[in-house]
Amino acid sequence: MTTDRDILFERGRRNLSRIGRIITIAAGKGGVGKSVVAASLALTLGERGKNVGLLDLDVHGPSIPDILHARGEIVASKEGLKPLSVHGIKVMSTGMLIGDNPLPTKGEDKRNIISFLVGLTNWGNLDYLIIDLPPGTGDETIWVLRALRGLKNVGVLVVTTPSILAVSVVRRLLSMLEDEKIRVIGIVENMAYFNCEGKVYRPFGRFSEELVRRFKLRVIASLPIDPSLEQTIYDGGLPHRSSEELKSAFYRLCEVVESSWGE
Amino acid sequence: MHEWTLAEAIVESLNSFVEQNGRKKVLEVEILYGEMMELDTDILSYAIEELVKGTVLEGAKFSLKEEKALFKCNACGATWDFETAHKMLSHEFGILEEPSGARESPLHFIPDLAQALLKCPRCGSRDFEAISGKGIRVARMVLER
Repeated sequence: MTTDRDILFERGRRNLSRIGRIITIAAGKGGVGKSVVAASLALTLGERGKNVGLLDLDVHGPSIPDILHARGEIVASKEGLKPLSVHGIKVMSTGMLIGDNPLPTKGEDKRNIISFLVGLTNWGNLDYLIIDLPPGTGDETIWVLRALRGLKNVGVLVVTTPSILAVSVVRRLLSMLEDEKIRVIGIVENMAYFNCEGKVYRPFGRFSEELVRRFKLRVIASLPIDPSLEQTIYDGGLPHRSSEELKSAFYRLCEVVESSWGE
Repeated sequence: MHEWTLAEAIVESLNSFVEQNGRKKVLEVEILYGEMMELDTDILSYAIEELVKGTVLEGAKFSLKEEKALFKCNACGATWDFETAHKMLSHEFGILEEPSGARESPLHFIPDLAQALLKCPRCGSRDFEAISGKGIRVARMVLER
């Protein structure tokens, strides 16, 4: 008889099921700061004493290695691929395997890349794995939904700006997560406001209350626009330490995330 | 050395499959793997042999067959084989193998990264297909009735 089992996908799913908690960072839209939020959350959880892994599944545009200034080659052993240890967390990204080369791939080929990457990576003991997804609901998201379906250790953080232009995209994403019965921890409202001479400005308004009610969710963090963030990363610094305000916001976000599991 | 991880993936998957189908014994298993993976079949066979001990797979005859790689360019129509592809592989990126210290192409571990690591030898496009020779799968299995 023949079997059409995808042995690397199965291996990847088993690997994920052995991890303490998995937080998937999803965003309908691109450019909302999702990877910066993913990296900052991972770093802050690490600083709070957790064993943390960060898996960059943005196959076409991996930015995690740049955000974390993660340099060095991946090592393979009998136990699998060792993620790179950076600033106290473990990181794996296709960006560490192909550098800045373009990767024009699609469909099943792309899902195979993720199956091999997740199936071969040996994370060791992790309290948290943060998965950074690309925008949209394409192959990477499909792979993750299939792999996480039925697992109890999973939650999704939806990152968006409060912009009205993001609402319909986030609605589609939330609908899909609802259909697939994947738990959403909450909404992270990024680039929500900035302070100027003691006054708070919200250039994109507030995130849709209608959407929050419809999906019975909470906006669990409102992160400021930090004018020094870009320069911090450019200078080799870490995003979550760009300003005291941002650092405090990520600490509060971690507390909410941890308590969402009853911690 | 990732042959051990692949062997684990194969054995775990087959054990689960056999269990789900309520069978007690496996007689034969044929594994088909892509040429691009450049597997050390001695290590893979040994790892499988070790890992099946005490499972329903113990005693099954495992055969490993290589599928030749073939590439086709969508831009100019050129086709080429793995020998040609291998000569073009950039040494810019690598994965370090422990304990040997050898530096292998990421293609060896994740064959579907081909479009990032190779180009069409005729026109230089990355818009090509790896038609065959890249994954690993169980092609055939004989279970005891």
